[in-house]
Amino acid sequence: MIKLQNMKLNIFHIKRVGIVLFAGMLFSVPCYAQGLKVAAAANLQSIIEVLQKDFKQRTGIGIEPIVGSSGKLVAQIKNGAPFDVFLSADMSFPQELYKEGLSAKAPVVYAYGSLIICSSQNIGFQNWERILLTPRIKKIAIANPAVAPYGLAAEELLKKNGILENVKSKMVYGESISQINTYITTGVVEVGFTTQALVKDPANKTPLYWKVINPKTYAPIQQGMVILKHAENNPDAEKFYQYILSAPAKRIFEKYGYRIQ
Amino acid sequence: MDLSPIWLTLKLAAITTLLLLIVGLPVAWWLSKGRSFFKTIIEAIITMPLVLPPSVLGFYLLLAFSPQHGLGKWLQNTFDIQFVFSFQGLVLASFIYSMPFMVGPIKSALQQLPASLAQASYTLGKTKWQTFKNILIPNIKPSLLTAVVLTFAHTLGEFGVVLMIGGNIPRVTRVASIAVYDSVERMDYASANAYSLILFCITFIMVISVFVFNKYQAKSPLE
Repeated sequence: MIKLQNMKLNIFHIKRVGIVLFAGMLFSVPCYAQGLKVAAAANLQSIIEVLQKDFKQRTGIGIEPIVGSSGKLVAQIKNGAPFDVFLSADMSFPQELYKEGLSAKAPVVYAYGSLIICSSQNIGFQNWERILLTPRIKKIAIANPAVAPYGLAAEELLKKNGILENVKSKMVYGESISQINTYITTGVVEVGFTTQALVKDPANKTPLYWKVINPKTYAPIQQGMVILKHAENNPDAEKFYQYILSAPAKRIFEKYGYRIQ
Repeated sequence: MDLSPIWLTLKLAAITTLLLLIVGLPVAWWLSKGRSFFKTIIEAIITMPLVLPPSVLGFYLLLAFSPQHGLGKWLQNTFDIQFVFSFQGLVLASFIYSMPFMVGPIKSALQQLPASLAQASYTLGKTKWQTFKNILIPNIKPSLLTAVVLTFAHTLGEFGVVLMIGGNIPRVTRVASIAVYDSVERMDYASANAYSLILFCITFIMVISVFVFNKYQAKSPLE
């Protein structure tokens, strides 16, 4: 009787081990990459890896960045994406999440973005407003203004200069600032408006010509951060939040062309 | 709501299907007759877009047609043609991308016809062209229709390549599938739903009509 029970238990045990092993196989990749899920705006594509490494060194906590246009990330968060911290490219998207109760605290600014005009050809950007109108420039790339704050800033800049209507036929829209970087570095467009982080990125091997746009000529790109509801009881999220606002992180941001004040 | 993405998609699909019909028929015929190493290679290349991720095609088209170097530069300087961010670029990408859907069904239908059919026609003194036009084509009508409809429908569904080389330009490259993606990103779910529903209905009607026309004998493109 006892023996029989033991055998039953054994079989049950074996089955369980089997199921666990099978589940382990299924989920081995996500398990390996587990960590704090940080949704990061596309302009942070390269810098987020540097922050990730530095944060890991300081605290031993690993993060898993999910990079996309701010608008796309917000749509995902609203529909239940399990992200812990959101680093946006502007303030209005995180503000919106806060208003909808998807974040407990109001957003804070962690950096100011810097817009540049950039090309893989030596065009000479002294009078870029005029150059954009010449036939030499066939395509101008900006990120989709509806979802990417850098695209919105670029559009606003062109409008303010009174040339938006004249260059409308040359405009090409990327789904995020990363796609603009692809368009510039592969040379499919003559000119693109992007983040200064592109030209500070050591991973970029294409020689680029660029000019920082005077920050006074467009509304400041205040980049905001929130801890999301998903991380309510996760102390790691708070640690990462504090880290992003700390002096060492600020130095990294400055190195990549962001402004802090 | 802006209906231009729907019209643009239908236009793209119609042009692509027409071009593929003109090119695909002779290619399928050629492939159906006998085997050789060269033919196998060509057939493999034609079939590859079925399994290749669209991003691979998009990436290579982006590099090949960049006006900065090589082919793209030559096309730009000689003919003033730009294949990235243009409608003709989408036609070219769709042509490559949908080719297996045109060539596949026609080729296997031609192969399944008895060889005596064409031989009898030749014996009666008909030329190759007359045989092809009057004997072979009428005998593969159901497969031909399947090929045309699938090519059209597949072009409607193209997304990845267009996302990479299209540039989301209204009335030029913003096709319906991109408009859906764009609307979802903007959280404009009403428009996303409208575009999606239209695409859903068009594809449904098309596939149903193939089934009805072929009396439930429509062939899968992989057969």
